[in-house]
Amino acid sequence: MNSISELMTHDHRDCDGIFARAEELASDGDWADAAAALKKFADALNAHFAAEESTLFPAFEQATGMTQGPTMVMRHEHQNMRDTLAALQYALDKQDADDFAGEAETLLIMMQQHNMKEESVIYPMLDSRLPGDEQERLSASVGKHLVEARAA
Amino acid sequence: MMGPGLSYDDTPPFSAPLRFFLTAPLFGVVAGLTLLFGGEILVSRWTPGALAITHLFAAGFMLQVMLGALLQVMPVVAGASMPAPLRIAGITHVAMTLGTAGLAFGLGAGAPDVLLGGAVLLVGGLFVFLSAAALGLSRGARTGNNTRTPRDLRMAFAGLVVTAALGFSLVLVLTRGLALPVALPTVVNLHAGWGWMGWAAVLLAAASWVVVPMFQITAAYPQRFTTLWAPAVTATLVLWTLAEYFAIDTARFIAIIALGLLGAGYAGTTLYLQAHSRRSKPDTPFLAFREAMYAALAGVLVLVISLWSDADWWPILAGVLILHGGFGGTITAMLYKIVPFLAWLHLTQAGIKAPNMKKLLPDTPIRRQLRVRTASLATLCLAVFVPILAPLAGIVLAVEFGWLFANLLRVVRARRDAAKAAVPRPGSHANT
Repeated sequence: MNSISELMTHDHRDCDGIFARAEELASDGDWADAAAALKKFADALNAHFAAEESTLFPAFEQATGMTQGPTMVMRHEHQNMRDTLAALQYALDKQDADDFAGEAETLLIMMQQHNMKEESVIYPMLDSRLPGDEQERLSASVGKHLVEARAA
Repeated sequence: MMGPGLSYDDTPPFSAPLRFFLTAPLFGVVAGLTLLFGGEILVSRWTPGALAITHLFAAGFMLQVMLGALLQVMPVVAGASMPAPLRIAGITHVAMTLGTAGLAFGLGAGAPDVLLGGAVLLVGGLFVFLSAAALGLSRGARTGNNTRTPRDLRMAFAGLVVTAALGFSLVLVLTRGLALPVALPTVVNLHAGWGWMGWAAVLLAAASWVVVPMFQITAAYPQRFTTLWAPAVTATLVLWTLAEYFAIDTARFIAIIALGLLGAGYAGTTLYLQAHSRRSKPDTPFLAFREAMYAALAGVLVLVISLWSDADWWPILAGVLILHGGFGGTITAMLYKIVPFLAWLHLTQAGIKAPNMKKLLPDTPIRRQLRVRTASLATLCLAVFVPILAPLAGIVLAVEFGWLFANLLRVVRARRDAAKAAVPRPGSHANT
């Protein structure tokens, strides 16, 4: 069984890969394929956010007693990323390569500094604070959710 | 209890790191002007001018940016936030800026009192910063991190302490006639070695373990490599220091070669990962980072040559390639990512619709400045062999850093314009 850290970190990297593909297609001016890749990325990103917001963050809050701290900031950053993703989609609809590149750059940095915090604070705390069986149950259900969202 | 370094209150105000980022390029400009007006500075590493330029660059440019960046990233990568970041930034920045200016002037102009005063200020500023960092790290240590970055940060700080201690004792030799147990050039070499490898390279590597895979979308560094690299560097530096103290030539030789190999191993691994990036169209700062890795590799090669050859130009050339090419290049590349992002972050946190990164700082001015940077490195290398080119290298160097300053200022203005154009939401996290 993978730890929550391994599972979620791996999903971050998967999302990065799909993101890079969409960025590459847009910079080639291949807008049709870029749109498909961006859709795939948005689906993966939203599934990841959903898994955290509905399952992992509540578990974190319960295990640590911190409801107004790190998870609140993480949720807020998710919203910022959703906004930037919408701006990215808008640039794609307009087929504006410059705007797309600028929004993509912004989203990438936003995403990575957010991932850094989750991977260095939130996930390790989940791994260390939750009882073993609870960890297994969570990572199985989150893993299933992520796979299903990807297949849909 | 609040979270370990993940609250908005842990994000230091924009002005805390920004003051370091904006001051740093100005030291680069002064280094260029020193080279322009200083005559044949580059004929040997021991000329007063060469010592002044080295410190303008190492303490004025590199150290300023590194400390500014640490203020910002310690909460993110180590879950460790400094107490009162704005006050720490204020004290450290003023002390280090005046201290570096005094140190460089004292070395260049042969003014012992200014040199000593500068060194005291510089060491004092570092002491304040390091104490705050140690406090932050001790509080943020409980999260069970899955990267080597927090451990390597501590090692880098230890390297900085040794570098500063050796440097300060050298200043006491020059100004107060302190007697050292080993020859002066040996202590200078140790001071430089601890500074380059024990502090700057370990810090750069600690940042790279995180930054390269994440922002350039590459595979992770091999785990065994990141586990062993920084401890191996620090252990080798200790062995080298002991070998110098007890004058064991073979051990000294092996330690220096090992340090060169470790440096080359870092640069080579980074280049390999970057060559397999999933971002197939690298942006300009990414290319600058790669160029810096090649310069560092060349620098290591030249350093090894200097072990066999007594010619004066090898150590100077190695210094140019490693300091300006390697560290200067990676730091410039990182500044181009950090400063626009921080401007964006602070606008967003203030509830203002922020322009995207490329509107805050477009590619074209970055690309042009980085071209001057390449020209500057090439001219500096030529000037090592053709001293008459030194003033020209000085001009290009001053233009390079002046342009970097202008590009960073452009971001600050773009942020100000965006803030003026918008009315912040009530109750938002306004930071200035």
